Amino acid sequence: MKIIKNITIGLSLLMSTQLVFSAQPGTTLASVNPEADRMALQQFFKKRFPDAELADYVNGIYAVDADSRTQWEDLESFPPYEFDVEEGERLFKTAFANGKGYADCFEKGGIGIRQNFPYWDKKAGTVKTLEQEINECRESNGEKPLKWGKGPIAQISAYMAWTSRDNVFDIKIPEGDEGALAAYLDGKKFFYTKRGQLNLSCANCHVQGSNVRIRADLASPSLGHTSHFPVFRSKWGELGTLHRRYKGCHKDSRSQPLGMQHETFRNLEYFQTYMSNGLVVNGPGSRK
Amino acid sequence: MKKLIAIVATVVFLPAAAMAETFDDAFDMNRAMHGKGYTFTWSGKQYSTDHLEEVEARVAATKENAEDLIAKAKAKNAEVANVGFEWKLTKGILKDAEAAMVSGDYRKALDLAAQAKYHARIGLEQHAYAENNWHLSVPQ
Repeated sequence: MKIIKNITIGLSLLMSTQLVFSAQPGTTLASVNPEADRMALQQFFKKRFPDAELADYVNGIYAVDADSRTQWEDLESFPPYEFDVEEGERLFKTAFANGKGYADCFEKGGIGIRQNFPYWDKKAGTVKTLEQEINECRESNGEKPLKWGKGPIAQISAYMAWTSRDNVFDIKIPEGDEGALAAYLDGKKFFYTKRGQLNLSCANCHVQGSNVRIRADLASPSLGHTSHFPVFRSKWGELGTLHRRYKGCHKDSRSQPLGMQHETFRNLEYFQTYMSNGLVVNGPGSRK
Repeated sequence: MKKLIAIVATVVFLPAAAMAETFDDAFDMNRAMHGKGYTFTWSGKQYSTDHLEEVEARVAATKENAEDLIAKAKAKNAEVANVGFEWKLTKGILKDAEAAMVSGDYRKALDLAAQAKYHARIGLEQHAYAENNWHLSVPQ
């Protein structure tokens, strides 16, 4: 009887330790804490790359790999996105057929506002991205929407980012708004979930695998990921939006990718940009 | 003292017992080492390294059987797509299976349908695993 009692005590002790490990915080609406997530991610990278400055993470892999940085700095001496910013400004300032323009659709005439996107639209019950609002602006003024991945939408977004350079990201998750928190949690879950035939999560490459080679490339740290979009990628040979990159990454895990501006991708952008709160807008950027 | 020994023994040995090789581990290891068609022993019994779908495809190469397996593979793929875990190549494999069936190559159609169904089944297992374990790589 005494042995059974002792084994029961032992088992209870074991089960309680297992429960402590399994009850992970931050996985449910009741326990998720975006600010704690942001600080934990910063601490992770601080420990991983002790020499990198927090503010420099907006430069992606160039914040942590000196050789790549030298090449990138050479590239930035004649920024490949320069003509796109000029074209974006021209498009932004061109009036619609009804005489109105993009400036009429956005706060502060659309100048210097990139740091507030994406945001939780309580009325619509969804996350809104800058590109989404550019197209909504067009449609509400009788114009056809632009394609999501490249071309004019990326150029207009690039111009708007350009006018916002050095503004500090300030993504808000309104207190007590369960919908906003659910969208954040959905984005977080997507980011950390393994998927596709290669069984990879975003985090596998951009948290644990940051600055680790994937074939000939070094994966960038996730901190500051969204700050420099839209981006001119040498691989693309042109400017592209963040969701074009999301789609490509998703496909790289050998998943059937979601469409650009899919709700889950917008929630992912919401989570990722919240992680970059406190860092500055430096879009458009150039990458390999 | 006896009480302490019992507690320590439980804490030390129970996780070790729980860590013994599972059937899935044994299957995956033998499949990786020997490919399909190999027989291995686990817990005193013999098993094949064939996937369920490979067994399913081992039927007479007829139009009816090919159609049936393609339909099952499509249904399984719709199921995995519904939870957002569809794999990239699966739709293409299903198209190839249908093309093989149209051209009368029913063996090829069965094998491709089996491959697509396997993709979908593993995608569903991946989803089930992710639901409980996605948080494991979140920095704390």
